[in-house]
Amino acid sequence: MEEKSQEHGAKYWKSLDDLAETPAFKEWVEKEFPSGASELEGVGRRNFIKIMAASFGLAGLGITGCRRPKQHILPYAEQPENLIPGVANFYCSSVPGLTANTPVIVESHQGRPTKIEGNPSYKAFGGATTIYDQASILDLYDPDRSTASNFNNSKVPAYQVKDFLVSLKDTNTDSKGAGLAILAEPSASPSRIALKKAFEARYPKATWTEYSPSQYLNSRVAAQSVFGSSVKGSVDFSQAKRILSIDSDFLSEGDDALAKSRGFTAKRKILNKSEVSKMNRLYSVESNLTTAGSMADHRLRLSVTQMPAFIAKLGIELINLSNSGGELLSQLSSIASTCEIEDKWVKECAADLYNSKGHSVILLGDHLTVETQALGFYLNQILSAPLTLLEHADSASNLRISNLADSINTGSVKTLIILGGNPVFDAPADLKWAKLLNKVDITVHLSYSYNETSAESDYHIAQSHYLETWSDGRTSEGHLVPVQPLIEPLFDTFDELSLLSSIIYDAPVENYAIVKDTFTNFGGTDFNQFLKQGILDSISYSSYTGTVDISALAQLLSQASTQKVNLGLSNLELRFIPSFHAFDGRYANNGWMMECPDPITKLTWDNALLISPRLAKELESVYGVSIFATSTSMNEEGAFFKSAKGELQKNSSVFKRGKESAVIAQIKVGNNQLEIPMHVVPGLANYTVILPYGMGRQQVGRVGENVGINTYGLRTSDGMGFITGVEVKATEKRFFLANTQEHWSMEGRAIVREGTVDYYKKNPDFVNQMGVESHAPANYGYKDNASLADKSQNQYRGNSAYVHPKFNEPDPNVKVWKGKEELYPNNQQWGMTIDLNTCTGCSACVVACQSENNIPIVGKDQVLRGREMHWIRLDRYFSAEKYKASEVPEDVQVSFMGMTCAHCENAPCESVCPVNATVHDKEGLNTMAYNRCVGTRYCANNCPYKVRRFNFFDWNKREIGEFYKGPLGPVEEPELEKMRANPDVTVRMRGVMEKCTYCVQRIQAAKINQKSIAGASNDTAVPDGTIKTACQQVCPNDSISFGDISDPNSEVSTMKASDRNYSVLGYLNVRPRTTYLARLRNPNKLMPDYYKKPYAYKAYKDRYGSSQATSGDHSHSNTHYDESHSAY
Amino acid sequence: MANIFPKWVNSVPIKLIIAILLIKSAVVIGITYYFSPQYTRVGYAPTQPVAFSHEFHAGTLEIDCRYCHTFVEQSGHSNVPGTNICMSCHSMVLKDDARLATVRQSYDSGEPIPWVRIHKVPDYVYFNHAVHVNRGISCVECHGKVDEMEVVYHAKELSMGFCLECHRNPEDYIRPVEEIYNLDWERPTDPSEVKELEEFVHDWGVNPPQSCSGCHR
Repeated sequence: MEEKSQEHGAKYWKSLDDLAETPAFKEWVEKEFPSGASELEGVGRRNFIKIMAASFGLAGLGITGCRRPKQHILPYAEQPENLIPGVANFYCSSVPGLTANTPVIVESHQGRPTKIEGNPSYKAFGGATTIYDQASILDLYDPDRSTASNFNNSKVPAYQVKDFLVSLKDTNTDSKGAGLAILAEPSASPSRIALKKAFEARYPKATWTEYSPSQYLNSRVAAQSVFGSSVKGSVDFSQAKRILSIDSDFLSEGDDALAKSRGFTAKRKILNKSEVSKMNRLYSVESNLTTAGSMADHRLRLSVTQMPAFIAKLGIELINLSNSGGELLSQLSSIASTCEIEDKWVKECAADLYNSKGHSVILLGDHLTVETQALGFYLNQILSAPLTLLEHADSASNLRISNLADSINTGSVKTLIILGGNPVFDAPADLKWAKLLNKVDITVHLSYSYNETSAESDYHIAQSHYLETWSDGRTSEGHLVPVQPLIEPLFDTFDELSLLSSIIYDAPVENYAIVKDTFTNFGGTDFNQFLKQGILDSISYSSYTGTVDISALAQLLSQASTQKVNLGLSNLELRFIPSFHAFDGRYANNGWMMECPDPITKLTWDNALLISPRLAKELESVYGVSIFATSTSMNEEGAFFKSAKGELQKNSSVFKRGKESAVIAQIKVGNNQLEIPMHVVPGLANYTVILPYGMGRQQVGRVGENVGINTYGLRTSDGMGFITGVEVKATEKRFFLANTQEHWSMEGRAIVREGTVDYYKKNPDFVNQMGVESHAPANYGYKDNASLADKSQNQYRGNSAYVHPKFNEPDPNVKVWKGKEELYPNNQQWGMTIDLNTCTGCSACVVACQSENNIPIVGKDQVLRGREMHWIRLDRYFSAEKYKASEVPEDVQVSFMGMTCAHCENAPCESVCPVNATVHDKEGLNTMAYNRCVGTRYCANNCPYKVRRFNFFDWNKREIGEFYKGPLGPVEEPELEKMRANPDVTVRMRGVMEKCTYCVQRIQAAKINQKSIAGASNDTAVPDGTIKTACQQVCPNDSISFGDISDPNSEVSTMKASDRNYSVLGYLNVRPRTTYLARLRNPNKLMPDYYKKPYAYKAYKDRYGSSQATSGDHSHSNTHYDESHSAY
Repeated sequence: MANIFPKWVNSVPIKLIIAILLIKSAVVIGITYYFSPQYTRVGYAPTQPVAFSHEFHAGTLEIDCRYCHTFVEQSGHSNVPGTNICMSCHSMVLKDDARLATVRQSYDSGEPIPWVRIHKVPDYVYFNHAVHVNRGISCVECHGKVDEMEVVYHAKELSMGFCLECHRNPEDYIRPVEEIYNLDWERPTDPSEVKELEEFVHDWGVNPPQSCSGCHR
């Protein structure tokens, strides 16, 4: 009986067609949906299916809902070795980069890769990965990836591609490759370099060109001139005490950015006052506001055209200090004559660098000119900078893409093979790549997705993901790393190595054999051990020890311009940067990257022309449009209170819940024009505008369609990095940008607490003297002085109305421990700290969390409605010396703060939940029981940190754009997308609340593992360091510590014991388990822009005053509020 | 004017209200009681594609549970064995038997045998086998006496109440680790031996979670 009804239940769902034909059922449909049923008469098929879907939904619910459908368990026919169903496997691999690979460990569930984590065996990255590495796994399951090769617009099977490659080989063999050209992306794979050599041997007349839109070779060219070898500098940050960054975003640019970031912040890990002397100092001179500039202790805004003059001026100072290189002085002073920077700044900066000789280093942005780069090498030499010059074994001295364009124009290229990349989209605009392709007889394009170049090529060959193929690569030091496949290619796809080897070798060669050969040639012996370790660090690039050739440098400097460029509204400087979201365009169909807010602008799903506040003001006055968004402030005068009082808001259309109504600008570069929305960013050089490239792809896929604006049209061979003579006009048109953080200021509140090194030395307790909790701290009653461990376990009530259960006692309904309480095992108490002194705002944690916790993307439309789902919100605040709410300041200090569920011990969300869906567990986690949640959203309303996220729609089930159709929309997400989900985390449905869980699945896995090992013993405590939350794991700077706060020796307890430790909004007595370590800035007293307290602190003091002695501080009176903007 | 409604009509509304209340309560009580896993799940014994007898293999032949469910001590899932496990015996024993045709076919073709799932905890629950069998909870506590089942059926309700019963009173279900796979082990009634079981809880620090996060993630 039981079984029979079970079958019925299943049958309704499985055999819809049979059922739909019965007259009785049709009748039922008609009665239930009279209006819909009348449509059945003359029926469109679509409507019929829609109605049917709704009806079956009800049928399933009403008739069979109480029986579960029959499910099958399909075990392996032949159980594979080393695979335990339900236990994840981890394999070493690496993410290919342009110049270096990132070694990673990939988590795989039954052959299905789900999460990428850095390989801790690679010490330079310490187990971290970049945000792009995290997001790259989503591309594997991109339903819009190229699933089949396409020859002359028709799909072809794999064997036909193989035949084609063989024919290519045969036709080009006799001609020795004359007329054959390859255009490849740069690669760090030694196997590819080996194949390139084999290719050149077989086809001596063929050409090989490499191009990537994001790569500048100026530094390599400069090194070639002054060293005679195209070496690359590698900084040892452990030795660097003084760093000058000249237009270099070294914390996020380049394939070794993680190592730099990790090295840089290691010197900023200050546990307490006694360690403060190890803090390094960063000077930053930059045109754009970057994450590196945000970390700077002294920051100067300067246009790119001024950079050569600045560095020449700095050079003069350093040469004078060191009494060497005097022969360059006259040349340098003519270059420096145009420098606009005040002498004192340069002089004191140079002196500070020189005083730490041997421990100071100058970093230059890759886009700066060759002569600037060369001078940089020389100045670093004067400073004896901790800089190792490495001889990369890659192929930087290759032909440029313009050379290839020339040969195509002369008709000497008959067959062009493009390996990856997308030159039709991203090649310099003056080359007109799409037209060039027509001049070539046969164009072949190997590509992961069918992009703009594929559309223009005769033969599109579908490319495999790096997780599907064998390859290898090298790290930036030159260690060998494998690219190991985690899964068989999901589709009939090819990869670079196999494509190359099939046109080079007559007999087929497996990639595996090529990679293994490379390994052996490097002197490796145990290949399996190599795959297990994921890195062969016994080999490295050789280091170069030569010195700068002064005469070559002088030669280069003679080319430098000594003419002053007068920038202004009619002669702007335009700088190109890769888009944070799409990079150079390759992540344009990656939803995680599209939706992750840019660290500085906080824009999602768009690119905008970034302009300085000064320029915005001038545009406003010239064109009479209103550009400034933030003329609303939150304090008394502000729109927030005005609207609360029922007053009219002046500028309400500009910002409305994440909708930034941006003015569209018209940019004119030479004869090229472009319309793009503008976004005002403080901290930009006055007349430099920043234009991100990589967005606005046309041939892309469902995610990237109609997202952003293509700006490559303005980027030409002679202005790849920056270009002057640009005009910007403001139009009347406006465009909504999806901005997740419209407000830039903390309004003087003590949210991010900052101090300077000197101030901290004198007042190590400064964090506790800020904020309301300096008067009204969290209230533990008479237990105020109890230890952290004690407080965490006993949950002292203080004056709280709510009585907590104690965490270190058995539950009252458990009888077995009665009388044996002393044996009751300790419940570990989880807690977290986030060190704001080392957080660079890179946002990798946001995407790592998304990947680990099955967090959906919602699309631009929903972000505009404020419904983004990220569990981590990376807040970015600007503070200025003089705060004025209605304006965006020009010179700012930037503070970052990752905000996520703080797991409050007195959680305000819990007390308002009507159904007990969010409650505490015995380990101090604020848990969410999704299946209890009824979606009242009271909890989100009552959360002081605003970290709860609500599923307004079935984000996981439905595609972007189909949300509003509800049950009438297509139900299932593509099979391919489902495969990326982490099986250890519930996929949430419509109508439930969600938020950070402290990666409870990882905590439980560690506990279960520990208990299984313990067996018949009481060794059940999870050792410190076993559990790493996803955000903690990915952080290159180890800013996040997580662990047991009831153990005074755990890492997190040590961090919480730091005198910089504070709770955000601690005065609410919610007792958050996540606390923050205050940020320190390290300004130089002798500098003209020295500040005694960070601007954020000043704003705080202006508002609240300070409870402690302020002698020697600048006295701030309220008149600062009233100062007119002429002061800026 | 004559009365249109007879007098008894006055009592109709109250009678109706009482009737509705009674029916409602009956429906609510009925659903809470009869729609619980106790009634909907227990006894579910679907026909399997292969008439495998646990009674014979685990009972009569006394094959250890772990011979087939190999990874129960390491994984959250207790795996259903691959066809190769069946064939490790049946390539020699009963190798031409008609009842094993499906198994041989699976082994030859590589297609899995579509076993019908019997045991299922409620949705949104992450149950872990390894931690239970390693810490003194036997298979029999949730699966019943599988070694006596010709056709395996859903023996216990596996509802949240069922789980919590044991998580609150582990001493009533814990047993020596060496007896986990002995489904015939008899729970002692002698007070001194019962005391010993309680000591397991104390000595091993058995502290099963009652919080949501223990099972729901």
